[in-house]
Amino acid sequence: MAVMISFIAALLLSVFLAERRHRDWVTRIEENILATLLGVITLVSFFQVIARYGFSTGWGGALEFTRILFAWLILLGMSYAVKINSHLGVDAVARLLPKPVFRGVMLLVACLAVFYALIFLYSDWLQWFGASTKGGALDYWAKIYRAGIGLDDIRNPDWARELFGLKERVPRWVAYTVLPVGLALLAYRCLEAVIGIIRGSREMMIVGHEAEELMAEKQRPIEE
Amino acid sequence: MESLILFASVILLLALGMPIGIALGLSSILIIAFFSNLSMSAVALELFTASQNYTLLAIPFFILASAFMSTGGVARRIIRFAIAVVGHFRGGLAMASVLACMLFAALSGSSPATVVAIGSIAIAGMTQVGYKKEFAAGIIANAGTLGILIPPSIVMVVYCAATNVSVGRMFLAGVVPGIVAGAMLMGTIYVVARVIGLPSEQWKGFREIVASGRDAGWGLFLIIIIIGGIYGGVFTPTEAAAIAAVYSFLIAIFIYRDMGPLKGRPWLAEADESTARIGFRASVYGLTFFLVWLTLSFFVTAEWESVTLRGRAALGLLLGTIVMAAYVLRRGEQSSIFDLPRYLARGASIWRRNLAMMAVCFAGAPFHDDTRKVLVDAAKTTIMLMFIIVNALLFAHVLTSERIPETITTMLLDYGFNWFTFLIAINLLLLLGGQFMEPSGLLLIVAPAVFPIAMQLEVDPIHLGIIMVVNMEIGMITPPIGLNLFVTSGITGMSLIQVVRAAMPFVAVLFVFLILVTYVPMLSTWLPYLLMGPELVAR
Repeated sequence: MAVMISFIAALLLSVFLAERRHRDWVTRIEENILATLLGVITLVSFFQVIARYGFSTGWGGALEFTRILFAWLILLGMSYAVKINSHLGVDAVARLLPKPVFRGVMLLVACLAVFYALIFLYSDWLQWFGASTKGGALDYWAKIYRAGIGLDDIRNPDWARELFGLKERVPRWVAYTVLPVGLALLAYRCLEAVIGIIRGSREMMIVGHEAEELMAEKQRPIEE
Repeated sequence: MESLILFASVILLLALGMPIGIALGLSSILIIAFFSNLSMSAVALELFTASQNYTLLAIPFFILASAFMSTGGVARRIIRFAIAVVGHFRGGLAMASVLACMLFAALSGSSPATVVAIGSIAIAGMTQVGYKKEFAAGIIANAGTLGILIPPSIVMVVYCAATNVSVGRMFLAGVVPGIVAGAMLMGTIYVVARVIGLPSEQWKGFREIVASGRDAGWGLFLIIIIIGGIYGGVFTPTEAAAIAAVYSFLIAIFIYRDMGPLKGRPWLAEADESTARIGFRASVYGLTFFLVWLTLSFFVTAEWESVTLRGRAALGLLLGTIVMAAYVLRRGEQSSIFDLPRYLARGASIWRRNLAMMAVCFAGAPFHDDTRKVLVDAAKTTIMLMFIIVNALLFAHVLTSERIPETITTMLLDYGFNWFTFLIAINLLLLLGGQFMEPSGLLLIVAPAVFPIAMQLEVDPIHLGIIMVVNMEIGMITPPIGLNLFVTSGITGMSLIQVVRAAMPFVAVLFVFLILVTYVPMLSTWLPYLLMGPELVAR
């Protein structure tokens, strides 16, 4: 667990420091990671189909590989979506509230979102409030890390096995790394939203409908 | 008790403006933390497992395919084709817009994407020839909802993931209702056009239909890949979606060239002489015929043992050559069959130029700025949808572990609900919910709760799915939260209220359609049963 916590701490610190100087660079890196994940998933699935139906061959680990990357796309992407404010929500009701109350409510919502991520990460602290739960993503990752079991179908290539003395299959914890990391990033981005709302630079952490951005791009009113 | 807290907290958090996904997830984990002994580690694992659902993996692929197809060129070609087919009727341009929406819906899995792609071109076209803008906007907003009814459809994939119904059957089930809904909208337009005297376009003859169809064909062939592949039992829907995504990428970049490194560099140059053009066209027809033949025969004969790839290819080659020769004989002046090699040799120079161009750009195309933008956009949409879906799955998990669906089932059966009244109740519930919630999230909450009782009352699972999808359609064009209304208002610059008023008359048509779909199960079940047999559900 200590390994993971220090890794997360280092990651968040470097994100924080990098964003103070070059916020758009970090955004671009995030976008490139997500686009690459999507592209790789698509291409691997595509070539797998071609290989299987065209040539009756294929990579045994393809299915597991694409599914893991799909989870990576979602779990890494959820924090990015908070950052660019593209999570969907219902804003119609809240907008009826008077301005100061509205701001307070938005602050509360953002704080709850931080809790959402924190509970998933590590839930033992809920016991103070009388909950009977324990563990979380960090705990689970540590358990898998200690157990050292491999993934079902994804093998280390032979040369890597010989060179580094690796086991036959890629260890399971590699795939699960995204779980604590993604949740920690989510907590960080939600915390950013809290600060943004306090400072007044941000109104809420949702968009009213999924097409807001689509429309902003295509906005070209038609002349009568 | 727990279930009340669960539902109340979700509704409260949603109303306060929390992201839908987090509202669903937070309520679920709080219930788990305080009312069960489940370890949070297992719940966190559930988050990961839900994110790697194989059925749902079709969603990013369909989003990607539709993003490549939405780049403008495909929509324009489809509209031209639609006008050629139905434009000459009274109100023809409006009917053509509906037809174009239907065709585009068959390429893309989402409604707003359909509205934007078709609407931004068709509404302008209609106002130019004298339609009222309100009328045009109302038609597009309504016809755009067919995007989630006509396969492929993201909402259907979500329904199938929630209830373990086969995606292939569900897609087939959408075909007939989609055509019926489109026909009803077109029929209404025709009647209105007769009454208030809307203009008709000039009939340009079958030649225009063929020409525009040929032009739109590359895009429309995607429909055949998806449906043919799934129905022929060749691919799983997720695989078909992956093929669709890569196919649309190749079409958009290398064939239509609306985006990417080859943008603005046409296949034929001004300087090409007519012999070369004819030769080139002939070879394109021959080659296209050959490839289409290979694909189609593969879908049809995939399970026949006596048919080999070599046999199909040989026959395809022969037929392709005949097509080439026929084209040359028709177009070339005073040419005989023996001129074919001469024409082809001339045409080869055009091929050489284009292939060289593609080869140069091939490696760079996936990294081109346009491609990157499409990928990032598709990733954003995927994440936004999937985050809701994953949390809704978590929510559904809590529902089931608290045995809430069973409770609801017994309660409703005690009230004496039967097949008929249950379907009314479902419709009311979904219509109401659809006003406030995003379709896939709502579907994931409602479907697990009502699916068991529907099975008890012998509602067909596929029929239930189509009912849900049609309800979601109506939810998209009714205020306060109607996605298609927002999008239509965005592309026309009309206010939301104006769009609502414009869309209303046609919403009535969709309501009639909903009643039809609800009480005529044949509409939904006939085609999938005919082709794939009935859906079996383990009770």
